[in-house]
Amino acid sequence: MTYEEKLARFNTQIEAGGKVEAQDWMPDDYRTGVLKFIEMHANSEIMGALPERECLPAAPSLQRKMSLCAKIQDEVGHAQLLYRVAEDLGKGRDAMYEDLVTGRSKFHNVFHYPVAHWGDVAVIGWLIDGAALVTQAALLDSSYAPYTRVLKRICSEEQLHLRHGEDITLELASGTDQQRGMFQDALNRWWLPIIHFFGPRSNVQNDLLLRWKVKTKTNEDLRQEFLDRYVPKILELGFDFPTPVPRQEGEHWIVDDADIDWAPLEAIKRNEGPETERRLRQRREMYETHRWVREALAEASVHHAA
Amino acid sequence: MFEVFRRSGHRDPFEHCGSVIAPDPEMALLMAKECFLRRREGQHLWVARRSDLHSFSDETLLEIAADKSYRFPEGYRDVVAKREKARARAKELQD
Amino acid sequence: MADTALVDLLTALADDELVLGHRHSEWTGFAPHLEEDVAFASIAQDEIGHAAAFYTLVAELTGDDRDRLALGRDHTEYRNAIICERPNRDWAYTLARHWLYDTADGRRLEALERSSNESVAALATKIRREERYHLIHADSWMRRVAGGPVEGRTRLIDAMALAFPEAVGIFEPVEHEDELVERGVLPAASEQMKAAFLEEIRTALDRLGLPTQGHAHAADAAEFVASSSGDLISQGPAAREPAEASSNGVGGRSGIHTDDLRQLWEDMTTQYRSNPGATW
Repeated sequence: MTYEEKLARFNTQIEAGGKVEAQDWMPDDYRTGVLKFIEMHANSEIMGALPERECLPAAPSLQRKMSLCAKIQDEVGHAQLLYRVAEDLGKGRDAMYEDLVTGRSKFHNVFHYPVAHWGDVAVIGWLIDGAALVTQAALLDSSYAPYTRVLKRICSEEQLHLRHGEDITLELASGTDQQRGMFQDALNRWWLPIIHFFGPRSNVQNDLLLRWKVKTKTNEDLRQEFLDRYVPKILELGFDFPTPVPRQEGEHWIVDDADIDWAPLEAIKRNEGPETERRLRQRREMYETHRWVREALAEASVHHAA
Repeated sequence: MFEVFRRSGHRDPFEHCGSVIAPDPEMALLMAKECFLRRREGQHLWVARRSDLHSFSDETLLEIAADKSYRFPEGYRDVVAKREKARARAKELQD
Repeated sequence: MADTALVDLLTALADDELVLGHRHSEWTGFAPHLEEDVAFASIAQDEIGHAAAFYTLVAELTGDDRDRLALGRDHTEYRNAIICERPNRDWAYTLARHWLYDTADGRRLEALERSSNESVAALATKIRREERYHLIHADSWMRRVAGGPVEGRTRLIDAMALAFPEAVGIFEPVEHEDELVERGVLPAASEQMKAAFLEEIRTALDRLGLPTQGHAHAADAAEFVASSSGDLISQGPAAREPAEASSNGVGGRSGIHTDDLRQLWEDMTTQYRSNPGATW
C-alpha cells in the first residue's frame, strides 16, 4: 500500500470515529501534531506546578499545607503521565525537557503569570483548574487513544482539585474582609488570562487537530461552556469581574471578543510573559546543576563500593 | 512462565488475565491468544516474563498510614454547607 | 497545669517534622526527576502530617490550637533540631539529611513506642510504619548515588560532611528530659539513642563505602600543577570545610537557631499571622 493509500484509509477510519494507538500507522502530520499537543500539555502541567509551588511555603494551616502539596504533586504526576505518552510518539523526555527550558517549546499562558498571595491559590485551584477541566474533558473522546486513557485519570484528579480550589475560595468568601479582598484581587489579575486560556476563535478549516478529531470542540465552545458554568457561581459569592465583564444573554454569559485585549497572549506566544524568563531560568538551572542525578539513575545497576 | 495481559478496547487499561507456560515470547503470544482471547475477550494482548515483573516483598508498605483525607473527595464533603455560608456572607454584604 | 516536660518533648518532635517537612515540600514541582518528584512530595506530606499529629497532642494538653502552635509562634519558640531548618542546598544534601534524619527518627520512635504515655506510644507506632517506608526510600537512593558515577558520589560525600556533624543535634535533650526518662514517657535517654544512632550510621556508611568521619573531599580542592608531572597538590580537606557546620547542630532544643530558621519562619508564617483569627 502506498503512503497515499494508507493516508486515505487512515482518514476514513478517523472519520468513522476510529482510535489510534502508538504502534499503529499514522500520517507524519498526525504524529507531529499529536506529539506537539501532548508535549505542550505535559509542559503546562510541570510549569503549572511552579505558581502554586511559590504559594506553598506560606500555606496558612497544616491541612492546607498538606493538601496544596498533594495538589502540586498531582500536577507533576500528570506531567509524568503525559510525557510518557508523548515519548511513545518518538521524542525522548530529555529532548522535550531541554526544548522546554531553552524556550523552544511552549506552555499554557496562565503559567506565565506571577502569584501574590493565598487568593491566587483559590483562583488557580478553582477557576484555572475549572477551565482546564472543561478543555480536558472535551479531549476524553480524542482520536489518539493513549492520550484519552491518561486523561481519564487526569480528569478525575482535576475534579478533586476543583473541590479543593472551591473549598479554599469558599473559606475566603465567607471570611474576613481582608480574605474576601484577597480573592477579589486575584480574580482581577487572573480573569483576562483565564479568558485567553481558551485561545482565540478556532480556525475550523485549517486546524489539523480538529480535522483529525484529536480535539473535538472549538475554542469558542469551550470558553462558552466555562463562562456558563462559572460566572454565576462567582457572582453568587458577591465578587465583581474586571474587563472583559461577562453579560447575560438568555441562558448564556457572554464575553464580547471586542472587549478582549489579546496583546498579553501574543507576548506569551513569544515566551515573553511576565514570569516566563524567571521560571524557565529556574528550571534550566535545576536541570543543569542536577545532571548528575539523571546520570546516577541511568546506570543499569550500582557497583559495590565497599 | 509468561504473565498475560489483555485489553478489551481503546478506552481500557491492560488487565492481567492469567499466565502461560511457553518457551519464548512468540509462542507465549500464540498460546495466550487461544487461552484468553478465543471469545473476543480483548483486542490487544501483552505477555511478559514473570521474572521481569517485580513486587514489594512486604505489601503493607502500600498502606497509607496517616490521615490523607485531602487526597479523596470525602475530604471535601462539607462543601455544600460552606457554599451556603459564603452565599449568606455575600448577601449580607450586598444588603 | 499542663505537663510541661511532656509538652516540651512533643513540641520538639512536632517542630522537627514540620520544619523538615516544609523543607522537603520545597522540592515539590522542582525535584530533579519527575517520578521522584511525586515520591518525595508524599514524604513531605507525611512529615507535615506527623507534625500535625504531635501538635494535636500538645493542643489537647494545653488547650491550644494546632495551627496556632505550628504557625502562630515566634521563631524563638521553635524547638526543632538545627539540621531540619537548613536550606535544601541540592539533591545530595537533601538526600543525606533525609537519610540521617529518618534513621535518627527511627531510633526515637522505637523508644517512644514503649512510652508510658499511651497516646504517645500509639502515635509513635502509627508514625513508625510510615517512617519505615521513608528509610527504605532513603537507603535505596543512598546505595544508588554512593555506588554510582563519580560526580554524584562526590557530591554525596560533601553533603554528608555537612549534614552528619549536625545530625547529632537531633539527640540534643529537651529540658526536663531526666524527668521524662524517669517517668518512662521517654523510655531511652537521648545520649543512649545518640550512641546507637552513631553506631548505626557509621556501620551503614562503611557498608556504602563512604567516609565515616564526615569529612569533605580533598581531591576536588586539590589542584594539578600545570606541567606534565601530574602532581595533584591537596590543600587538605580543611580548604573546603564549610563554615556553617561549626554550630555542631545543637541549640535548637532550647530555641537557639540559625538565621535559616528565621527566614523559613518568615516564609511559613507571615500569611497566617497577617490575619489573626481567620479560618482558611
